[in-house]
This record gives sequence, structure tokens and C-alpha cells, in this order.
Amino acid sequence: MSYEAIAMLMFSSMMLMLLTGQRVFGAIGFVAVVSAFLLYGTGGSELGFTATMKLMKWYPLLTLPMFIFMGYLMSESRIADDLYRMFHVWMGPLNGGLAIGTIGLMVLISAMNGLSVAGMAIGATIALPELLKRNYDKLMITGVIQAGSSLGILVPPSVVLVLYAMIARQPVGQLWLAGLFPGLILAALFILYIAIRCRISPHLGPALKGPELNIPMTEKLRLLRAGLLPLFIFFSMMVPFLNGWTSLVESSALGAVCAFLVAVLRGRMTRRVFEESVRKTLGISCMFMWIILAALAFGAVFDGLGAGRALENLFVGQLNLNPWVIIILMQLSFLLMGTFLDDTAMLVIVAPLYVPLVKALGFDLIWYGVLYTITCQIAYMTPPFGYNLFLMRAMAPPEISITDIYRSVIPFVFVMMLMLAILMVFPELALWLPGYVYGT
Amino acid sequence: MSMLVRYITFVDWLNFKLGRGAMYLLFVMMGVLFWSSVTKVFFRPSLWTLEMAQFVMVGYYMIGGPYSIQLGSNVRMDLLYGSWTDRKKAWIDGFTVLFLITFLGFLLYGGINSTIYSFEFGERSYSAWQPYMWPVKTVMLVGIFMMLLQAFAEFFRDILKLHLGTAPTPPHHLIQQNPDL
Repeated sequence: MSYEAIAMLMFSSMMLMLLTGQRVFGAIGFVAVVSAFLLYGTGGSELGFTATMKLMKWYPLLTLPMFIFMGYLMSESRIADDLYRMFHVWMGPLNGGLAIGTIGLMVLISAMNGLSVAGMAIGATIALPELLKRNYDKLMITGVIQAGSSLGILVPPSVVLVLYAMIARQPVGQLWLAGLFPGLILAALFILYIAIRCRISPHLGPALKGPELNIPMTEKLRLLRAGLLPLFIFFSMMVPFLNGWTSLVESSALGAVCAFLVAVLRGRMTRRVFEESVRKTLGISCMFMWIILAALAFGAVFDGLGAGRALENLFVGQLNLNPWVIIILMQLSFLLMGTFLDDTAMLVIVAPLYVPLVKALGFDLIWYGVLYTITCQIAYMTPPFGYNLFLMRAMAPPEISITDIYRSVIPFVFVMMLMLAILMVFPELALWLPGYVYGT
Repeated sequence: MSMLVRYITFVDWLNFKLGRGAMYLLFVMMGVLFWSSVTKVFFRPSLWTLEMAQFVMVGYYMIGGPYSIQLGSNVRMDLLYGSWTDRKKAWIDGFTVLFLITFLGFLLYGGINSTIYSFEFGERSYSAWQPYMWPVKTVMLVGIFMMLLQAFAEFFRDILKLHLGTAPTPPHHLIQQNPDL
């Protein structure tokens, strides 16, 4: 059998096993170790454990439990709740102002954690009921919260970019800096969309009126202080890191220590909060680590077969496609898979397939990391399967139905696709900041 | 059948205890990395911290792994799975959990060889600190072995569900006994 055929067989048997609903890491790992054994005999049977050692030595992965812990600390202890009130008071008088404020809130929360769960928790349980009470359009704000919280994986610190960095063998620091500006531009596009929609049809987001506006200036200023909290946590990580005082991993621990201290000082660290956040951190970290372990083993066999070169040969050599057409096709297939594959699995399966191809085509892997993350964000939101959709269903008030959740994301998915297009035309948007800081 | 019940109850209990212990390694990791930043900024950077943190991380997800299975944290692709009845899930899982067991079996096999090697030759890490490798490899072995025991417990649970209609569940109630939680 040719190597291409073996690679195809591996990939399709993995897909088939994933469909049986067994735990994702079991399905991927099984295909990896069995094909290594069949291909290389007894020598190949140690491949699984070799992946374990490789996983241990890849030290940026240490940031994973730290950022996951920060995310859960924030969603369980509600130390960031004042942030919502800040935006509420300051943005309320505008048409659609509360929705715009919610996006701002999401950007600040994204700067404190690397997953979308914290933003989702605050958005769905605090912002959503408040916005509903003030007659904001149900569909629009459900979309706002899902789209906004997905910024968590693009704005640094980002767990998805850590995983990508591992697979693409690129420096995490550069990837994070590359994600910063596209994240802010994406947030600005969301805001622009909301503002235009609410300008055309003001009933979607009525401005606050009457007694709610009579808040004394001192109170308004006091609430502004709430915004200092995310800045404090963000800078406690980023300043030592960018100045080269601490490594990335050490900075993530500093961030976790700071978030923990803030929760304790605010008196929010009850035993329940402690138990929930520590336990959930273990669960999610283990899930990620075991899937990555399995995917590493799979990738080792797959790379050994030269699957990346085979794909390149197929697309460039035989089909004679333009590299840009290939990149666009890749993102489209990624989106298509995102609608029916599990997101975490996709993250670790798609990247090892695509990254070698992107590299062979001569594109910048840092730039592609940002494209990849935005595509992941879209995949997180597209029905029927999406991480954010599930979280939203679990957390949103009962008057938000599943159909509402599904329909609400449509305009935001278009905005994000627009962002993908912008980034393809202007790669500098992502690349100038890492270039400036690292002087490349 | 009562043997299976006893096995599941015991493995669930043991992995629950181990996992609850491993859960707090998060703070050991945080502490080691925090110390690492402090020494780096104010004194001479320590040699041992990064590798130590890596070793603790291995303990964290290896020993904590079986508990994460009990918690149901390990994602499945539920395109089809989500719509099946509990009975059908148990049927299919009863077969596919063998994939998981095979994977873990290969991990264990490679792990045993590699650990024996590091015991025999006193293998050390290639770094300035040069720690021995056998302690961390032993931790990995224990973790993989407990993972395997847990996978068998899941297998037996499916069998019991199909035969008796019920099966023992992991001891989550042990944490809820505390009135503060």
C-alpha cells in the first residue's frame, strides 16, 4: 500500500471511531498506536509513551492549567461582575449602548483568561438578564454574548494559540502578540455592526431613559475603578513577560496567583468557589492533556508517512491550484468540519494536517495561527455543535430557546468571515506587533 | 456480578482519592513557577524550577486522569452518541471502550520498557539540573495503570448496566457531604 493510502486509511478510521462517541482521546490514540504497531512492529509499540515524554518536555503547556484556572476563578468567584455595571452606567444612554458595552466587557475579560468560558458565564448570567429587562432584542444580544466571549481565545492570553504553537512549533509569545490587534479589530467590527443595526432600527437596543440615568458622578467614577482589575491582572502577566523578566510560563503563574489573591481580598473565595474552580480546572486540563497526548502520537505516525507533502503534491502538483485558493479552501473545509465535529478534537486534528501544507505553500505560520484561531472561534459558534453553543444553552435564562441561540450567531459569523478576509488581504495587521517587539 | 460491583466500587473510590489529591498539585505548580519568577527577578535564576514544574504537571494530569473520566470531562463526539438511549450508549461504549484499553495498554507497555531502562542505567535529564528520570517515569506508569483500571471499571459498568439495568456510580457524594459546599 502506498503511504498516501495508509494516511487516508488512518484518517478515515479515526473519523469512524470518533463517530462511535468514544472519548476523543481514546479514539485518536487507538488509531495512532495500532497503526504504529502495524507499520513498524515492536519498535512502533513504544510510540505512545514517546509522545508522553514529548508532551512533558514541551514547557509552554504548563500555561494551560494556569489560564484555565484563571478562567474558572473568574466565572465562579464573580470578581469581574462590577465590570458589567461599569459598562452599564457609562454606555447605557446610547442606542444599543448596553450591547456595545457588553463587547467591551468581553474584551477586558478576554485579556484575563484564555478560554471563552469566563466571558460566557458573565455574559449569559449577568449581562443577558439585564439586557432582556431593558427590552433589548433577544436575538441580537444572544449573538453579542456568544461572539464577544469567543474573543477569549484570540486576545492574549489564549489557550488555543498555545495549542497551535505546540503543533506548528512556533513561539507562543509572537503568536499572542499577533492575536492582539486582530482581536481588537474584530471587537471593533462587532461594535460597528451593533451600532449600525441599532441606528437603523432603534427598538433593537433602546437607550436607557429616566431614573436610571440619574446616577451621581461620584458613583460613576467609583464604578470606573472596576476596570482597573482586569488591567491589573493583565499587566501583572504581560509586563514581566514582555520585559523579559519572566518566561511565558512563569507569567501565567503570576497571573493565576494575582487572580487568586484578588478573589481572596474581595472576600469571594468561599469553599464552594474554591472547590468548583479547582475541580473544573483538573477536569478540563486533563481533557486537553490527554487529547494532545493522543494527537501527538497520531501526528508522529502521520508525519512519518509524509502526509503533509502528499497533500501538497495533490493540491499544487496535480490540481495546479493557486496557494491562496488552497488557503481559502482550507478555511472553508475547516468551517464545514466545525459545524459537525467536536471543537477540541478538531483543534488538535486539523492543525497537524493543515500546518505542514501551509508551510509548504510558503505562508507565515504566525499569521496562519491567527487565521486558524478566528476560524476556531467561528467553529465554536456554528450549530449544531459548538463549545459556545453548549455553554450558552447551559447558562442562559430559560426564555432564550435553542433556536434563538442558533439563529443569533448568523450575523456575527459573517462579521468574523469578513475579518478573515481582511486578515488575508492585510497580513500586517497581525504581524506588525510581534515584528516590532521581537525586531524581526 | 457482585465481583464486578466490588471491583468498580473499589477502583472508583481509589481513583477518586488519588484524583482529589492530584487536583491540588495545581497549587504546587503555581508555587514552583512563582518561586521561579521571584528568583529570576531578584536573585540568581534557579535551575530546577521549570523541570520540577513539568514533573508536577505530569503527576497532575496522569494521576488526575482517571478522576477526570469519573467527572465526565473527556469530550466525546456526540453527533450520533448524543441522541442514543442510555442502553444503546452502554452497548456501543462496551465495545469502543476496548479501543481506549488498547491505547492505554500500548502506553503502559512502552512506559514499562522506558522505566526499566532509566532504572538500569540511571538515566538523567539533559539539563543543567540533571535530575534522575525514573521518579517521573514511575509516576507516569502509575497514572497510566490507574487509567487502565478506570477504563476497565467503565467497561464493567456498561456490562452491569446492560445486565442489571443499574451500576455503581463514582463516589461524588463524598464531596457533597461537606455542608459548606
